Amino acid sequence: MQHVSAEHQAVVSLDTLYTAETPEGIALSLRPAGAAPRALAYLVDLGVRFGVFMVLSIAAIPLGGMGQGLLLVSYFLLEWFYPVFFELTGSGATPGKRIFGLQVVMDSGLPVTPAAAITRNLLRAADFFPFLYASGLLTMLLRRDFKRLGDLAAGTLVVYDDTVALHGQLPDAPATAPVRPLAPREQAAIVAWAGRAKRLTPARLDELAQLARSVTPGQGGDATGRLLGVAQWLVGNRDTGGRR
Amino acid sequence: MQVDAIAVELRPRPMWEASDLGVRLVQAHARSLWRTWLPLYLVFALLALATVEVSPWLPPVLIFWLKPWLDRSILFVLSRAVFGQATGFADLWAAKGSVWGGQLITTLLWRRFSPWRAFTQPIYQLEGQRGTARRQRRKQLLRQQRGAALGMQIAFSCITTSLTFGTLALALWFAPEELRGDVLNWMAGRGQDDSVLASLCTAGVYAAVVALLEPFYVAAGFAMYLNRRVQLEAWDIEQEFRRAF
Repeated sequence: MQHVSAEHQAVVSLDTLYTAETPEGIALSLRPAGAAPRALAYLVDLGVRFGVFMVLSIAAIPLGGMGQGLLLVSYFLLEWFYPVFFELTGSGATPGKRIFGLQVVMDSGLPVTPAAAITRNLLRAADFFPFLYASGLLTMLLRRDFKRLGDLAAGTLVVYDDTVALHGQLPDAPATAPVRPLAPREQAAIVAWAGRAKRLTPARLDELAQLARSVTPGQGGDATGRLLGVAQWLVGNRDTGGRR
Repeated sequence: MQVDAIAVELRPRPMWEASDLGVRLVQAHARSLWRTWLPLYLVFALLALATVEVSPWLPPVLIFWLKPWLDRSILFVLSRAVFGQATGFADLWAAKGSVWGGQLITTLLWRRFSPWRAFTQPIYQLEGQRGTARRQRRKQLLRQQRGAALGMQIAFSCITTSLTFGTLALALWFAPEELRGDVLNWMAGRGQDDSVLASLCTAGVYAAVVALLEPFYVAAGFAMYLNRRVQLEAWDIEQEFRRAF
């Protein structure tokens, strides 16, 4: 197993993950979000804000001069506190961000604090410079953690809060023990393989099972069936194993 | 394709996260990318800018129109970068026949209008199917992914717009306050003289923004394509199996 883990480290694999360390010394992997989804989320929020402002403008017409004043106040609040308000609610995301599965958190992985939410949104003025958020977009493209200037100042991070599950139910198979003890990563790979049985074509499933032939007991024949057995054994359904 | 040699962490991701992986790929292989693609692009952009004499709007249109063809060179570098290989201009030159000459007509005509160009480009350039097989492959890849692929393209056109106008605005910020109106008029081609020079400047800004952004855009589409193959063909599991067993 030592050999295997050394090999894993030898492969320099590129990923987007951002590692945050908790005070307890636990490393958390956060999945920061970059320029493309955030630009689209911004456009959605812009639309929402515009819609709200339109409704308010129509409502303000009968109020005359006071309506004008209220409208200006509401414009100010919409521009500067719409994101702050939504980021401090439970989901930590404006409606636009929620559509794209994004969330604002502190870069320690904790929920965003009021001070940080205000800072990162006031600093949008810096990100907007010189025009149309050019500097914000540029920093998002050039930084590994995709932070814009406001995120840098506030110590916040925009992350993905949704995950993708390709995993389904494991198909039934008589449980069999693998021929050697498996490293956690190998176990996870075999269980993930079995969980995708419904998504993949039988030919592709078998092609992958052939790769793991060295850990299944027995020779020749049905590689898929035997690896499914190992997967069942790994997830703990071992009571059916007596038949083998 | 040797999946185990892929130097990118494959795991099931939301499509948006995959597009960000493309951005990381560009950051990690920036040297290879711009060393290879910038010489080609500079020659091309200079030729395109020279057409300003013909018509003031021609240079940006030419650059915009030929982007799908230019993208092929970028994808060539990226397809080596996912295996951790560095690329120089000599490598591109050695493969110029297939990279520059392949599928010329479709690249320059109807694929220019594809709303998910970068996402489907790897099928055309790297998979090597033809005819019906390729059409089916494209359909399979796009199934339920059209929204994300289109959204990514929209996002990058917004970023292009933002950076282009941002750069022009920066020039305005630096202009003396009483001259700002004149500078703005000059940029918009409403100046008294030198309108050719003004068009050249705005087209040059657009060309520079494309030089910076195009690799990010192509890489985002390519990473989304890789993510789709994780969904369809479990490449992430193949990667794990080949490393482990």
